[in-house]
Amino acid sequence: MITINNLSKIFRTELIETHALRDINLHIEEGDFAALTGPSGSGKSTLLNILGTLESFDSGEYFLDGQPVQGLSDAALSRLRNEKIGFIFQSFNLIKDFSIYDNIELPLRYRGFNAKERKQRIEEALELVGLQARSSYLPGQLSGGQQQRVAIARAIAGKPRILLADEPTGNLDSLMARQVMELLQQINEQGCTVLMVTHDPDQARRAARHIQIVDGQLHDSTLYQPLSQPLAETLGD
Amino acid sequence: MSITLLLKSLSQRKVITVLLLVQLTLTLALLSNSVLLSHQAYSLSNQPTGLDLDSTLTVDLNPTDDNLMSQPALGGLIQRQLEALRLIPGVRHASFTNQTPLLPGGMNGNTYVEDQEVTTNIPAVPFNFADPELFDALQMTLIHGRWLTAEDSETDSVVLTETLATQLFGESSKAVGQLINTGTVVGVVADIMYQRFSSDQYYALFFNEKLPSAEHGYSLILNVEKSAIDRVRQQVADVLRQVEAETDVLQVNTLRQLHRRVFQQERGLAILLSALSAMMLLVAMISAYSHALFHGLQQQNEIGIKRALGANKTRILFEVLSESWLTTGFGAILGILASYLLQQQLAKIISLSPLPLWLPVGASVLLLLCVTIATWYPASIATRVSPAHATKAL
Amino acid sequence: MERITHELMLALRGIKRAPAPYFLTILILSLGLGIFFSNATLYYWLNNDPLPHKSHTLFFPQINAGAHEDGSREPHRILSYRDVQLLSTSDIPSAKAAMFQSAGYARLPSAEQRSPTPVHLRATQRDFFTLFDVPFLHGGRWPDDAARLEIILSKASAERFFGETNVVGETLQLGNELFKIIGVLDDWALLPRLYDVQAGNGAAETADIYLPWETAYDLSIKSNTRTRSEDNRNYNENFAVNGREGYFFQSQFWVQLDTPEQQAAYEQFMQQVVQSEKEAGRHPRPSANRLTNMSNIAEAFDARNRQLDVFALVSLLFLIVCLFNASHLSLNRYLASQYEFGLRRALGASRGQLQKQILADVLVSATIAFVFSLLVAAGATKLITTLLPSTRTLTSWNIEMVAVMALIALIASYVVTVYPAIRASFGSLSRQIK
Repeated sequence: MITINNLSKIFRTELIETHALRDINLHIEEGDFAALTGPSGSGKSTLLNILGTLESFDSGEYFLDGQPVQGLSDAALSRLRNEKIGFIFQSFNLIKDFSIYDNIELPLRYRGFNAKERKQRIEEALELVGLQARSSYLPGQLSGGQQQRVAIARAIAGKPRILLADEPTGNLDSLMARQVMELLQQINEQGCTVLMVTHDPDQARRAARHIQIVDGQLHDSTLYQPLSQPLAETLGD
Repeated sequence: MSITLLLKSLSQRKVITVLLLVQLTLTLALLSNSVLLSHQAYSLSNQPTGLDLDSTLTVDLNPTDDNLMSQPALGGLIQRQLEALRLIPGVRHASFTNQTPLLPGGMNGNTYVEDQEVTTNIPAVPFNFADPELFDALQMTLIHGRWLTAEDSETDSVVLTETLATQLFGESSKAVGQLINTGTVVGVVADIMYQRFSSDQYYALFFNEKLPSAEHGYSLILNVEKSAIDRVRQQVADVLRQVEAETDVLQVNTLRQLHRRVFQQERGLAILLSALSAMMLLVAMISAYSHALFHGLQQQNEIGIKRALGANKTRILFEVLSESWLTTGFGAILGILASYLLQQQLAKIISLSPLPLWLPVGASVLLLLCVTIATWYPASIATRVSPAHATKAL
Repeated sequence: MERITHELMLALRGIKRAPAPYFLTILILSLGLGIFFSNATLYYWLNNDPLPHKSHTLFFPQINAGAHEDGSREPHRILSYRDVQLLSTSDIPSAKAAMFQSAGYARLPSAEQRSPTPVHLRATQRDFFTLFDVPFLHGGRWPDDAARLEIILSKASAERFFGETNVVGETLQLGNELFKIIGVLDDWALLPRLYDVQAGNGAAETADIYLPWETAYDLSIKSNTRTRSEDNRNYNENFAVNGREGYFFQSQFWVQLDTPEQQAAYEQFMQQVVQSEKEAGRHPRPSANRLTNMSNIAEAFDARNRQLDVFALVSLLFLIVCLFNASHLSLNRYLASQYEFGLRRALGASRGQLQKQILADVLVSATIAFVFSLLVAAGATKLITTLLPSTRTLTSWNIEMVAVMALIALIASYVVTVYPAIRASFGSLSRQIK
């Protein structure tokens, strides 16, 4: 699903160059549920942004679903994002002036679906997250957990190939966090690849695959490890 | 983005939207009425004058000595002045008259067909003292009969302009030989614009008499080769003072200048209103610019989310622009209504033709264009929002 | 004092932080105010009452005299010598004067060879100077309304001809006649010149030389604005007789009627005049008397400058547009600084303190906008007088007007600033600094 070869990202200011990512190699299979962990400033968000095509990179190769990402125009990148990637943010990032329905509809409009198809997909997504009755609410009228579920509905309504989640439970209490995690697992079981940034070792352990990043380098990229493996606790933040 | 979503987002900012709409409405109302007024002034000042505006010089003057003010001294003075002026190279014809075409004021009188005063009377027709050469000096065109000759001097022969002859006799061709209250019509000449605010601007009546008195001054009319006009103009005052030192040359103008002066009020107002309209457009542009810039900043997060969800830069640009377009569109609808209201109010104060629909519609399009230009730059800045950064913020 | 300077410093710092949007706001505000000021100035002078204490007592009487019965109920704008005589026979008015404007050439008797100077003349009667409160610098008016070769000079023309103002007793040649100077006026200008509005000269310059009305008829000096004759007399000959006896119209006539009773009495007097004229077979047109008050004179003679009326209306609309626009910009500016307001409130600033800060903002904006708007107004006035030269005398500013402009600038800045500022500073505190 995702293949990255020797990818580097450098942040430049006038005085210094910071190597946010160095020679990263990564391969994620279709249907994976991967957790990306690492201390603050380790580059995990940068990596996630690059995987989501929200940020460019300086060298290396990135293939998404077999398609090379480097060198694509803004319009092509936007279409790629719209069709293949779903985003879930820590701060939900719902548009506060839009109703729940309008929020979920937005990427479907970009995709060019007609009204009937949009409606059908929105209803399916809302059903999955259990918020059918709230479609006309504004985000501000919902709890944090509900808002994140709306964000998830928005992310999956377009049936993306991969879901990128950046600390999806960071702003939620533990009960709500568990609901959201269960939802993500459910989505993964339906065949969608999920990559999740987290600093919570418990959540990382729920993932089938656990990737760690420290100082811009992937220290380890392991396939499924038993939950008793203490590695995450020692290296996680 | 769909209209409904745009409307929702506008209704979220009621105050700002209302402020914008009021501005746009008034701007459009002013813009279309200014264009209307300018157009009106333009067509007024482009009416045919029957005059050779660029090769005719008029000299308004007064003797300053009371002894030269009346006949016979006055007649002799005028003859000497005309002779001297004809000697200036470039001067083709020189004549005198009591009033200059195009200038307001002069001698006016009632004119009617003899014995038919009640049915044919026309008040305030410009009466012109004319010698044979005035015909050439003003480059007149004869339509019927003949122009005044030296034999007509101090007789009751009169010449009418075509419009006046038509008004008096139904057809100008019937005028020659007829008797009117001031004399016998011997000819009809093509229309000349005399006094704009007379009963009709093309009325004029000519007779060959000596000017009895110069108490209101008189006017010398020169037909000059176009290339020589500036040079002649500079010489005129000196030549006239050499003929008679007791001469006050009030002004020397081409008919073109007088023509401009006659329509000065209309032209002035039209120019002022156009300048004001341009300023209003500028203000509307500043407003659209800063509005888009500000909202681009305010909506960075929202734009970032949209970018993350797959909106490309063109789409974002279009979204920001279409918000401007929608507001301007509403403003245009209100503005077209306001244009008609303002036209009604203005028509109460000054004469103003009705507003054709294409005018406010065209003005709306112009406004839309200006708003688009002004919104373009801030909108393109908005598209540069980094989605990665914007979605992290907050 | 220290507090005030602190607030002002804060206001200035706010400008420095985002100068572009601030100056756009001020620019728009100044454009609107400036255009408005320049028009308001013209409008003010056009509609100014130059004699506020007595304009309500000054009247322009007209009777519907004429040589022929033409059914018209519209009296002539000008009066004949005979009309003036008839209307003068009453003692009801406290003052009365006939007048008309003319032009001529004047020279010093000693400088016969030098070319003469063109002068504006006013032929009038002795009460002219009391009717319109004309101040004398030297000498005085004529003792009665009889013809005499005596003139009164404006201060400027005394200086122009003699180089000094006290020239009472000197002689000046006007046309072929020598006139003795019996008075010199002090600086005086009625703006607008309401007594001459009827002749379309409300914004023209005042006369250089005043001569007796009767003398003008004797010397065949006629009005240079509008004359009208309705019979076949030759008015180029023997004007002293023909001008007085014939149907030759050229004069204005003003009377002062101090009380409503006097006004009613004079109206009655006018009716009687017309009636006895009709009985004598001399007033063929229908009776249609008018007694127009000075404050209605422009309206009555359709002498309003319509173009300026239109422009005044339009510039008012422009000001409104600019106010809306500026408040829109200023709302944006304040919303952008919402965070700072919130922070300061979190740090313990009371609403009152924030209000003071807003007032300081208003004060700074008003000052800058006022200065800019005066510049814009000066430029706009220049443009208007170039395009509409008839407005040239109507552009001066006095202290009161400038003060009113400053006040308007302050109010405009207040209006433009207050709503946005309140909205920015009194929104939900917690939301702002989250």
